Amino acid sequence: MVTAARAGATDGSQPQLRPDSADRPARFGRFEVLTGLVPLALLLIVWQLVGSPDSPRFPAPSSWWPALFVRGQGEDIIPAVLDTTRTFGLGLVLATIVGVAVGIGVGVSRGADRAFGPMFEFARALPPAAMVPVATLLLGFDEPMKVAVVVLAAVWPIMLNTRSGVRNINPVLLDMARSLRLSPTSTVGRVLLPSVTPAVLLGIRVATPVALVITLLVEYLTGVNGLGALVGDAQRTFQPARVYALIVITGLISLLVNSLVRTAEQRVRRIHSGG
Amino acid sequence: MGRDDGQRWRALNPAGVAVLVAVAGLWELLVWAEFAALRFLPAPSEISVAARQALAEDELVGRILHTLGVTLGGWAIASVLGFGLGLALGLSDRAYRYSMTSFEVTRAIPPITFVPAALIIFGFSVKMELMLVIFGGVWPVLVNTIGGVHAVPSELHDVGVVHRLGKLSTIRKIVLPAAFPSVVVGLRLALSLCLVLSIVAEIVGNPAGVGNGLIRASQALQPPLMFVYVLVAGLMGVVLNALFGAAVKRFMPPVQGHEAQSW
Repeated sequence: MVTAARAGATDGSQPQLRPDSADRPARFGRFEVLTGLVPLALLLIVWQLVGSPDSPRFPAPSSWWPALFVRGQGEDIIPAVLDTTRTFGLGLVLATIVGVAVGIGVGVSRGADRAFGPMFEFARALPPAAMVPVATLLLGFDEPMKVAVVVLAAVWPIMLNTRSGVRNINPVLLDMARSLRLSPTSTVGRVLLPSVTPAVLLGIRVATPVALVITLLVEYLTGVNGLGALVGDAQRTFQPARVYALIVITGLISLLVNSLVRTAEQRVRRIHSGG
Repeated sequence: MGRDDGQRWRALNPAGVAVLVAVAGLWELLVWAEFAALRFLPAPSEISVAARQALAEDELVGRILHTLGVTLGGWAIASVLGFGLGLALGLSDRAYRYSMTSFEVTRAIPPITFVPAALIIFGFSVKMELMLVIFGGVWPVLVNTIGGVHAVPSELHDVGVVHRLGKLSTIRKIVLPAAFPSVVVGLRLALSLCLVLSIVAEIVGNPAGVGNGLIRASQALQPPLMFVYVLVAGLMGVVLNALFGAAVKRFMPPVQGHEAQSW
């Protein structure tokens, strides 16, 4: 998301030029993060006041948390969170390894790119969400299947960004590796990988929400472990308050994961540009 | 990326075609050899037979039309909502300060987890499908509209001030054209997302459309037909994206698009 700094509102009737970008205040301070929550808080308060805890569609927010623990269901939550995190994490790590390896391969070699390009375009056009039922049929209902689908979905942004990262490397760097007579392994390790790291991280950032969504979808569809299975179960057994509580938990996890990845990306970017 | 693809397809690419054919051949061979791990994998030849059968019937066309209708309808609503809201939040710093975190938090919730809530509220219906499509499609438009408005260079604002343009004409003549490329990127991302979400909604909830055809074929243990539906879903994405690109090129100023990723 672009959060470019911009001048405060210039509502005055007098013509007033904007100050230069350096003088402008940052748009999003710590305070603004909190004030920005006002509409959401208002919504929840109104919901709480108007809604009843027994409503079949919109149970009041205060009933959400207790609903997690009715009839001894509270013990399922932590294992489900761990299951989801494991599938998601494993899938993302494998997608990164495969995506970076293939991305460097097709990035370095024009011939490989031309040979495999059409196949990648074809495979990428198949929506991973639609592949989930196919994968459950082909591979069965187990952990490797879940991870495989997540990898299939998350690998593309990582691979494509790695490829364009390799393409954008300053040729002087590669010439230098050649004149220093670096072996292919150390060229990849010392020149290619460090130079493409920001591009790879961008790919990972794009892939993260995709991987999470596919993880949850697989769990929801197959009913095999994890938060997706839990929320599907709560819906099928008509426990609306529990559904909303699980949505909140999933949202928090997603928020946490996304901000972790974004922080990591920014840090690496700063190291890169700072030298 | 679009330009790159265009070049790749326009120039004959024997190596690329050879790899495609080789993969299909290997796949066919694996199925013939009854490779045990993939018991339900249909051979490409079986898929093409199933595709020809499906095309001969009206069912497939009906399903495609349903999915297309919901996708485009939901996309239109999501675009209007996202653009309007994004414009307001982009123009007014106060509105931005007092609501952006709420949107960021809501946006972070994976749309899939809203399926159960939508099912509880609307049941297994088109309404549920539309809700999911709109909920997912609104964010790329919103975020890219805000980003586009915020990224309008201050020099352009100065031009408006110097010409003593009123508030409305500044927005109309300066902010909107400058923010436009970013909005188009948001619209394009939203379009592919809306398609995928409508298919997901059909897989898990609303018994209609391509997604439902897919899951029905799966439950009827007809893997070839299932692959046909996956291919149809993929093709719909490609065609919609291409049509959007062509429309942008035809009616609008040149735009730099990038990383259109959907799931």
